[in-house]
Parts: sequence; structure tokens; C-alpha cells
Amino acid sequence: MYPLMRSWILLCCCFVALNASAQTGFKPVANLELFKQQFMKTAQSTNTIKSDFVQEKNLSMLSEKIVSKGKFWFKKENKVRMEYSAPSYYLMVINGKSFRIKDAKSDRNISTSGSKLFEQISKVTADCVQGNVLNNKDFNTKVLENAQYYQVQMTPVAKGLKDFFNSIDLLVEKKDLAVVKIIMHERSGDDTNISFTQRELNVPISDEIFALK
Amino acid sequence: MRSLRLNSLVALLLFSSCTSAYRSLQKTEGDAACIKRFQPKINQTVLYSTQVDILQHHLSGLLLFKPMDDSSMRVVFASEMGLKFFDFEFGKDGSFIKHYMLPKMDKKAVVKTLRKDFEMVLMRQDPATAEVFMNGAERYTAFKLKKGKIYYITSKDCSELVRVENGSRRKPVVEVFLTHYTNGVPDSIFVQHKKVKFNISSQRVEK
Repeated sequence: MYPLMRSWILLCCCFVALNASAQTGFKPVANLELFKQQFMKTAQSTNTIKSDFVQEKNLSMLSEKIVSKGKFWFKKENKVRMEYSAPSYYLMVINGKSFRIKDAKSDRNISTSGSKLFEQISKVTADCVQGNVLNNKDFNTKVLENAQYYQVQMTPVAKGLKDFFNSIDLLVEKKDLAVVKIIMHERSGDDTNISFTQRELNVPISDEIFALK
Repeated sequence: MRSLRLNSLVALLLFSSCTSAYRSLQKTEGDAACIKRFQPKINQTVLYSTQVDILQHHLSGLLLFKPMDDSSMRVVFASEMGLKFFDFEFGKDGSFIKHYMLPKMDKKAVVKTLRKDFEMVLMRQDPATAEVFMNGAERYTAFKLKKGKIYYITSKDCSELVRVENGSRRKPVVEVFLTHYTNGVPDSIFVQHKKVKFNISSQRVEK
């Protein structure tokens, strides 16, 4: 169950962000190849990311929202730390093929080997880091644009992620190709949005940040 | 002599295995409605940081209780990262609707168990249908289920909730502890199943 619960979070490892605003007036991107090249170039020049994040879980049937906050670290090639501080503490670290999960009751490592879903996630992670996410065959991908943003609409086609998400949208700011918002549309009808603030790129981050238990 | 000892041991084991934990309950007249003071007064959405240990699995997330305009209560559990596990509705009249359950968890037995666990927590039973028993220094307010009973076990004077218990005919199956009430809402909820490893531990957090 754990890998399934956390699947989408791994997508974050390639996402850099600012606050998102208007998301209207999108149409198919005029020059897809240019976008791909620029997106890949930006990803390849990003070695570390440090930022705060705000996550909003919208419970569609209840008109209710759960807001969570925390800090995010990324270090090339495959190190991610996501630490929630509110409304409760929760830590998730990815270090290569291992996870560390810490909550109020437990702190443990989980190996990714032997899980097909983990393989998909690892691939998405690697593709994001290398800027190849648009070529990932686990998703059908469309790219739209308006004056300010690109919108990458990723529809899972592979079993696993498909069981949980109808689609995952990335909102990419045109001026610096930073992903400003991730919107995960669950099959349940809910969606979860995550926005990053106070983004710092290519600052030194110690490996200790990504230490397993 | 040896066979006599063996027979005695077998008889003792048989006897003890058949003894009911509820054998010493003494039926009494009493106000069953007194337990209502322990019913969580959830007048607005409350949130709990929650960990679930089920067999070899460990789940963690946020448990949300939301009172609805029609007096029903919605109970939603989602992971910290937003993935929803379940969404249940508990009606004022005892009805139950499963609005959503993560397909991988959507088993009849799991839903039935969770329904019963949260019914014990929400205390929505009608006191008029209860029986009251005494057991030493403890008072048992019992509600009949199709199988077994739910007991709200309090101090003799009903001033303190000791635990909530779902019992079969002979022994406790589930125990629920609601503690550290703040403004009528428990800060801590702990559900412990006795037959299988299945525990739910919740601590209230600010929304």
C-alpha cells in the first residue's frame, strides 16, 4: 500500500515552482519541439532545488479543503526530501532506490526493488530530472499554452498510476520554465494541488538531508 | 494419578475457554443517556493525524470528521500527500453510505469493520435502546448488534469514560479509547482490535 500512497509525490522531484495564478485560455502549444528542448535544457541545468510548498487537497463532494505545508529538497540525480510540518509532521525521503518514511508512530526504510509501480515511479523521476518526461510511455501527454504558462497534461496509461489518477497536470511558467503548480486529478473525483514558494536553485544541499534511517 | 492431572488440566482449559468476560455483569436500572456526555461534540470539521497498522501494513494520513447540514457525519481518511483512502457517511438514523473506498482496500470485511469502529467512536446510538449493567466499579451501557454488543464502559457514577468495547458473546473483540477531551472533542482516539493486528491511532491536529 505504501508505494501506492506515495506514488505521485515522486513526480515532484523535477518540479520547481512559484505561485500559480490564472489557468485559463489554454490552447495546444504552437511549437512542441521547442518547448521540449527548452524544458529539457532547464531540467539538465538544475542540480539542486530547495523550496517551501503548500498542498491543497480538495474533497470534491464535501466542499472541504485540507491544506498542508512543508519543505522540499531535491538533489540530482535521485534524491528527494519532502517534509510536512502542518497540520502534522510527515517525512518522505527518496535516496536512489530506497525510501524513508517517518510519521508519528514509525520511521522506516522501504526498498523500491521488486515493485512494478516503483519502477514506473523511478522512470518518471529519472525522466523528470533529465527533462524527458514528455517522452515517458507511461503517460499520454499533451502540452497546452496561454500567454503566461505551459500546461502539461499527463494521462497515465500504464497500470499502477492509472489506478489512482485520471491525470496529472503541470503548470509551467513560460519565463523560466519552472513548474509552478502540480494538479493531481484522482479517480475518486478529488484533486490535490501543490505549489512551491521560496524556490532556490542550485544551492549547496548536504547529502545528510537525504539520509535514510 | 498422571491421567487425573491431565484430565483436570484439560477440564480447566475447557472451562476457562468457555468462560465469558461478561459473565459477571449485573443488569441494573440506570440512565443510559448519561453516556451522551462522552459523545464527541463535532460541530465543525475536525482533523486527526492518524496511523493505521493492519497486519504487516502501516498507513499514515489525516482523518477528517465533518458534520453535515442533514446531521449526518462524513468521515474521510486521506494520506498526507492527498490520496483518499475512504469517505464514509454516518446518518443520524444509523444509516451508512460508503461514498468512496480506494479500490485496493475495497473489501466487504474491511468496510464493515471500519463502519463498526467509527460507530463506536461517534456514539450515535439511541440510549433508549440500551441496557445498563454493573461490573464491580464499572458501569456497562450496552447496545445490541446483530452479533455481539457495543459496551460504553464508564465509572460507576458515569463521570468518566473508561473505554468502549465491542464484545462477542464471550470476550472483547475491539476496544476504543477516547481521551483528553477539549471542548467536548477527544484529542486522542485509539482503536485496538483483539483478534487481528489492526490498530488505529489518531491525534487531533489544528486544521
